[in-house]
Amino acid sequence: MSLPSSAPTMQACQSCGAGAPLDAHFCPQCTKILPLPRQADYFGFLGVPRKLNLDAADLERRFRSLSRQFHPDYFYNATPVERRASLERSSCLNDAYRTLRQPGARIEYLLKIEGLAPNGSGEAARQVPPALLEEVFALNEELAEIRDLREGGSAAGEWQGRLERARQPIEARRVEHEAQLQELAARWDAAVDRGATDGERRAVLDALRDRFLERNYIANLLAGIERELNS
Amino acid sequence: MNGMSKVVGIDLGTTNSLVAYVKDGVPAVIRDRNGDGLVPSVVSVAADDTIYVGREAQRRLLTDAKRTVYSVKRFMGKGREDVQAETGHFPFRVTGEAGGVLRIGVGDREFTPPEAVITVPAYFNDAQRTATRDAGRIAGLEVLRIINEPTAASLAYGLDKRHTGIIAVYDLGGGTFDISILRVEDGVFQVLSTNGDTHLGGDDIDVLLMDIVLAEMSSPSYGGPYVGPRFSGAADGAAGPAPEVIQEVRKAVIQAKWDLSEREETDIVITRSGTAEAVPYGAGTAEAEPYGATAEAVPYETERYERHITRAEFEALIQPIVDRTLAPCRQALADAGLEPSQIDEVVLVGGSTRIPLVGRAVASLFGRTPHSEQNPDEVVALGAAVQADILVTGNREMLLLDVTPLSLGIETMGGVTSKIILRNSTIPATGSEMFTTAVDSQTAVDIHVLQGERELVADNRSLARFKLRGIPPMPAGMPRVQVQFQIDANGILSVTAREQRTDVEQTIEVKPSYGLTDEEVERMLVESFEHAEADFTARLLIEARNEAEAVIQATEKSLRAPDFAEIEKSELAAGERQRIESVAAGLRMVLTSSDRETIQKWTQALNDATQHLAEVMLNRSVNAALAGRNVDSV
Repeated sequence: MSLPSSAPTMQACQSCGAGAPLDAHFCPQCTKILPLPRQADYFGFLGVPRKLNLDAADLERRFRSLSRQFHPDYFYNATPVERRASLERSSCLNDAYRTLRQPGARIEYLLKIEGLAPNGSGEAARQVPPALLEEVFALNEELAEIRDLREGGSAAGEWQGRLERARQPIEARRVEHEAQLQELAARWDAAVDRGATDGERRAVLDALRDRFLERNYIANLLAGIERELNS
Repeated sequence: MNGMSKVVGIDLGTTNSLVAYVKDGVPAVIRDRNGDGLVPSVVSVAADDTIYVGREAQRRLLTDAKRTVYSVKRFMGKGREDVQAETGHFPFRVTGEAGGVLRIGVGDREFTPPEAVITVPAYFNDAQRTATRDAGRIAGLEVLRIINEPTAASLAYGLDKRHTGIIAVYDLGGGTFDISILRVEDGVFQVLSTNGDTHLGGDDIDVLLMDIVLAEMSSPSYGGPYVGPRFSGAADGAAGPAPEVIQEVRKAVIQAKWDLSEREETDIVITRSGTAEAVPYGAGTAEAEPYGATAEAVPYETERYERHITRAEFEALIQPIVDRTLAPCRQALADAGLEPSQIDEVVLVGGSTRIPLVGRAVASLFGRTPHSEQNPDEVVALGAAVQADILVTGNREMLLLDVTPLSLGIETMGGVTSKIILRNSTIPATGSEMFTTAVDSQTAVDIHVLQGERELVADNRSLARFKLRGIPPMPAGMPRVQVQFQIDANGILSVTAREQRTDVEQTIEVKPSYGLTDEEVERMLVESFEHAEADFTARLLIEARNEAEAVIQATEKSLRAPDFAEIEKSELAAGERQRIESVAAGLRMVLTSSDRETIQKWTQALNDATQHLAEVMLNRSVNAALAGRNVDSV
């Protein structure tokens, strides 16, 4: 779908030399396990559509069934080529299942393979999302005052109450963002189902990306408040 | 396979080792003439170089303690510094790293098969796993697979009933503690999480009791002439009791510990007769004869120590040890995303779970009576045999999906660990990180691989440092070097790298601090014991030098940093730079010496001297990052 048109669609089986589709796990000719192509896509690898609402039980069944097909324990006496392929495929399977099992990681991965990875490396985006500037500003002021209170030896009950009150609007934003993310996920899935145009998809993904980064930022803020409370 | 596979499963225990194999589809422990399957994990090298293992070696603990080695599993893959505090309780000396120690374990010729599956505590790190694999290879085994003890135990339990559900395996052995939580379905045993402590077990209980007994024996009211306040572990043992006394005490308290699992009270009894040096135990019996009950041994006044102990006293004493197992249990539950009530079955493994207090603590944590139908000493070896059978016969009834117990990462700017593969990831697993260069035409980057959960590099275990070479010369920041980490099904790491713009691939040989290459193992197999130890020492010396060079380079790099002058003015104490420079110069001077400890001492000194500077630079890079500036360079 979003692969460049020059991307190959076939690979050569290293055991018998026959051609095999890029998304096949085993050679259709000799049935030997195939090496992992360089750009494996986790959705395709697990045989599920590139959607955000996935059936957890179905995903787990696929994981177990493919584990039984790929695991290195079952290739102990095989050729080095097959053993290598078994290691690659079971590693990819484990990585894929770990990623797609968690809704947050699933969104992040979708954004990445659709070319919308959050900028910079890793989680990046330490900049305050514009939509949250007001709250973050208010929170930082409140936190500074609370720290002053604590340093001034104020009673725990007093500053904890204020911290808790400072937390509430952020928590409300988190709930709001979760709901928006779910709605956007449903819109994405619908777009996939009806074969929407690239433009429509892109619009959903852009919105998804913004909400996702904001949600992560909010999660960090909440974790910071939590640390403040427990310190 | 004629119903009988030629591979075995080995449970390499701290206290005892077992060997099992699968015959006609049923795993069985290999036993000796007396029906005994437990081989004590003890090796003794007599003065005439005769090697004793197992029970015979165990007897020699009382007669030739200094030449008899036990509980070495606790030292697997550890540096001398890691275990120094503990070695005081052992009569044998831990000198240098474990060249000789690695040899023991499975050296029993009777049981030496060509291929084996060896078990390790789930919480063993990469260095400890590699050390175990090397131990097997040096003993002449082809190690098919390293599997985790709790997982092996679950495999053995899963044989009887084809159950589905969530199992917690609580494994408290002689020296190590593990907790693993597994989901079992369709014959797939999937570990969800694991946790533990590789330095917690029955040995710690023995030490508590030994401390009490040794203190009482040396008190004025007891008045034993040869007993000091506590065995210091000094080479000459000047201040402490003779090693044989320690072993007498150890034997007596272990017996008391066993008794108290069956009874409400017991007596610790230690009797001695003979001289302090020369081997009094069992003198005069035929059994003791070959071990040097020499003619010079002057009969000694018989002495007797006796102490009554109740189960309540014992439990109060060991409560802190049992409590230490509970935090890892809770962490494993949290990592699996489960409440204790969601666990369907709890299985007890390891000899120390025979202690009633342990069973009660587990029952109260999980809210259910744990299973202990299988012999807790044998269940791990049986499971290892099942796994060996799977590998060799292609039996596909069952499949183990294990996890890596500790996160794997690399060092990034400012001494911070960046995690690449998180703990409890199902293995095999991969992870990758992109590197680039900091200066134009740079053709190599340094990579430091770490294992552990902490943020700072210094708090985690250093697995390997290597230089990634062969990067095509390009402007700084242009190369895109993807370094891929691969953990295999044994939980052991390998690394490959690829420069993506030019598609140059390079497989890096990671030299873990404690691992041996195939060639080294081969050489150690053919050469003499002493020679192998010398090789080992030489390699350790090289590693110490490499480490020292790495620290010197890092220091020089910091001192040359563009903002160093500014840092020195605003953040460093007067003379701090001069001190760093003089220690660095000192380290450079000892670098060519062949005294590893001196090199290590100076390396440590330089690390200490630069610690503050490193913190300052870390803070600056964190602040820079918070200010949105890019510090993504290595």
